[in-house]
Amino acid sequence: MNTRSFLTKLGATSIAIASFTVASLISLHAADKKLTVGFAQVGAESAWRTAETESIKSEASKRGVNLKFSDAQGKQENQIKAVRAFIAQGVDAIILAPVVETGWEPVLREARRAKIPVVLVDRGIKTADESLFATLIASDFVAEGRMAAEWLAKKTGGKASIIELQGTPGAAPAIDRKKGFEAGIKAHHEMKIIASQSGDFRRSGGKEVTEALLKGSGASVTAVYAHNDDMALGAIQALEEAGKKPGTDVIVLSIDGVKGAFEAMVAAKLNCTVECNPLLGPMAFDAVEKALKGEKLPKKTVVQDRVFDSNSAAAELPNRRY
Amino acid sequence: MMNDPFARIRPWFSGASLLWPVLGLLTLLVFNAIYAPGFFRLELRDGHLYGTLVDILNQGSKVMLLAIGMTLIIATGGVDLSVGSLMAIAGAVAAVLVTQAALPFAAIVGTTLALTAIAGTANGLLVAAVGIQPIIATLILMVAGRGIAMLITDGQIITFEHAPLVFVGNGHLFALPFTVTLVLLTLGVTSLATRKTAIGLFLESVGDNEKAARYCGINTTLVKVVVYAFSGLCAGVAGLIATSNIKAADSSRVGEMMELDAIFAVVVGGTALTGGRFTLVGSIVGALLIQTLTTTMYNLGVPPAVAPVPKAIVIVAVCLLQSEKFRQQITSWFGRRQA
Amino acid sequence: MKFSTRSQNLPLYATMLVLLALFSVASLRYEGFFSTRVVANLFSDNASLGIAAVGMTFVILAGGIDLSVGAVLAFTTIFTATLVQNHNVSPFVALPLALAIGTSFGTGMGFLIQRYELPPFLVTLGGMFFARGVAFVISQESVGITNATYDKVLEFGVPLGAEASLSATALAFIVFLIAGAVLAHFTRFGRNVFALGGNENSARLMGLPVGATKISVYAISGFCSALAGVVSTFYKGSGNPADGVGFELDVIASVVIGGTLLTGGVGTMAGTLTGVLIFGTIQTVLNFDGRLNSSWLRIAMGGLLLLFILLQRFLSRHTAAVR
Repeated sequence: MNTRSFLTKLGATSIAIASFTVASLISLHAADKKLTVGFAQVGAESAWRTAETESIKSEASKRGVNLKFSDAQGKQENQIKAVRAFIAQGVDAIILAPVVETGWEPVLREARRAKIPVVLVDRGIKTADESLFATLIASDFVAEGRMAAEWLAKKTGGKASIIELQGTPGAAPAIDRKKGFEAGIKAHHEMKIIASQSGDFRRSGGKEVTEALLKGSGASVTAVYAHNDDMALGAIQALEEAGKKPGTDVIVLSIDGVKGAFEAMVAAKLNCTVECNPLLGPMAFDAVEKALKGEKLPKKTVVQDRVFDSNSAAAELPNRRY
Repeated sequence: MMNDPFARIRPWFSGASLLWPVLGLLTLLVFNAIYAPGFFRLELRDGHLYGTLVDILNQGSKVMLLAIGMTLIIATGGVDLSVGSLMAIAGAVAAVLVTQAALPFAAIVGTTLALTAIAGTANGLLVAAVGIQPIIATLILMVAGRGIAMLITDGQIITFEHAPLVFVGNGHLFALPFTVTLVLLTLGVTSLATRKTAIGLFLESVGDNEKAARYCGINTTLVKVVVYAFSGLCAGVAGLIATSNIKAADSSRVGEMMELDAIFAVVVGGTALTGGRFTLVGSIVGALLIQTLTTTMYNLGVPPAVAPVPKAIVIVAVCLLQSEKFRQQITSWFGRRQA
Repeated sequence: MKFSTRSQNLPLYATMLVLLALFSVASLRYEGFFSTRVVANLFSDNASLGIAAVGMTFVILAGGIDLSVGAVLAFTTIFTATLVQNHNVSPFVALPLALAIGTSFGTGMGFLIQRYELPPFLVTLGGMFFARGVAFVISQESVGITNATYDKVLEFGVPLGAEASLSATALAFIVFLIAGAVLAHFTRFGRNVFALGGNENSARLMGLPVGATKISVYAISGFCSALAGVVSTFYKGSGNPADGVGFELDVIASVVIGGTLLTGGVGTMAGTLTGVLIFGTIQTVLNFDGRLNSSWLRIAMGGLLLLFILLQRFLSRHTAAVR
């Protein structure tokens, strides 16, 4: 063994250890009095999601809250890591937009032990112990699917051959919007889903799938139902390229209510969108403040979603911020 | 060999390696001919061909382009995970430029492709000059590149109606989608450059034995940087197509997981991940195979959650077809039965 | 993991030094970072990643690759969750069964790779699609587990100071890492793996059991992926068929950051641990900071990876030059 190399390594190691120790001392300084809230977001996969993040961020700065933001890139493990990092930091409250409905009990118990209230936004969790979270502020995905089905039934007089564009397999909105829609068309025997494939919540997925289905099992389509606006906008392009007129030859309806959908409705290419409101910031921080004061909160606040169609779209478009 | 039933047609496929992916693709097409009515229907609409086969060519063009760049990288013994993110950057840059800057279209395309080629060069430098393993070197840009693309579009989906850019992914030339021309051009130029000049030899020698190549006087660093830059360029074109196709830059989603499709196409086409000998046409066949497979799932109405299972079976079946050992085993089974 | 200062271990020391530096800087910058809780979290949050990385290290050392780990993990979580929750099967039956399936699946892939000389990339990609599809066939939705045994394991912890404790999942990670290190560095099998990855032909000429070793590394990886899945069900108390998408890349990245060469034959289990911890620490740092938006988070993640890899390169080169 070479002495000099050993000394270099020893030197480097001791510097590292020294800085490590100093770090531990400095990190003990006192915190400021501002409220600190951690927000564990799913990711940034859609315009809807970005709007939700924006809403929470702008509300935090409006109220002078120090917001810690985390983007899990669609992975539950990353979200759990974020929540645990928030707990380790001793934040005052946590806002969590859970990526799936199960698997939260251990980490929420940890938050409860640390006496940090957790506010769930945009989708619920399945748990036997509802004391694990302060409150849930969310839309009802099943109801959204059912509302879409009811609108379509009314529009078509209960008669339609439908292509369904599903979201990402396994995602809660995809499962629930499918369930709700199927329940909604059950009463109408002449409404049939003739093809159902996943467009992965993407615009490109919506286009590619529709393009393929129009030449095969979906050739006799009279209506396209998409689990989100992005896929519907892709499907509209595929319909146009196939020589059909979306909005008239084929009814197109979807869920979310993003700005692009309203523009398409004004252009008479999209017929209907069921709004799923992402602007949850004000409600979420109201809940956080109440929970910190020790006020009793309702376990669930369902955000009222509205149905927009081509008649109401033009009036609403100027109000759309996302 | 006398008992080789393919001895006569084998030379058509430039060696044995190309025969099996082509056979796999043909099997899939035959399957569709039987079970998916209308699969081969082609009609002329507004002066261009219209049908499922055309869709496969058009939708498959992105992976085909990525696979061309990826083939050269894999030939040098490397791999490029960043192509999906580079597609996102290309789409974001082009969409922002056409909506916010009054530049001629050639300048917009030039800027976009120059940027992705530069990003590819950065990959190449990390691999060749710094000596980082390719999978990690390109993982960096795979992660950060997606962020850069999202930063350019401010996290929004940017839509456009710019006619020349819309043409790239939706236009037609010679009765076929314009993307087919783009793929053929790229393939043609790359094949000529690698087969008619010494470049191909350089690539294979770097992949076979880098040290030996260096001793032979080949500038292995330069060779590697150039192939990564070229892959960046290919990813840029693929990104333009993907973005143009939906008339929108979806920077957080475009090209997601496409790097795996591209690597799959290359390997199934007969180029080994360990580097050395490569076949560009094989990679194109591989890309067509994966796109046909996807379309087949749509046509058969396989529930999307379950679709990976038949996909897996086809992948393993094509692998087994390529395995000489497996074919020998099958032949010996049949031989025994006859005896 | 012989702690000699042979030059081949320099990258490992450099990587460890980088980890220490990263942790020190983060402790300086962020309040509450320097705590036993953060360290304990690092081990329990990354237990699945770490256990899968132990298996992947064997595969990569032998010159192969396994893309199926994320899908096998997902299959295992939904398989055990469905059995335990919906069919009232005892975890003591369900878990060994899940591990056996994972191991057989890995063995199957190893067999195809070895017997028919197929590229590991394609076979394990097929395995990835297959396991993912089967996971969705079992259940399209995630399934929560409410079970007394699970609760007991969840509540278990070795106390570390006042507020932190080392969870059962963290312990499982540590135990399997040590077992993996012993197997890789102190057994005949381990030496065979290194020899196979170094040069397959030489290994064959030396009379080593190349075929059996090759199949075994995929079997180990299959077992480890299934175990990572089991650990994940304990960590979350649920199973989810959509879990672990892209997980294989995180696992491969951790192993390779730890200094194991993708070409095979070079690497250490200690390096893998360091790689996993670097990966986890970068994430923790970004979560502690909490000021970046989605775009900058991704750029920072890539930037930090780049920084530490360059630092690691520089340190190992520099120390080598001093010799």
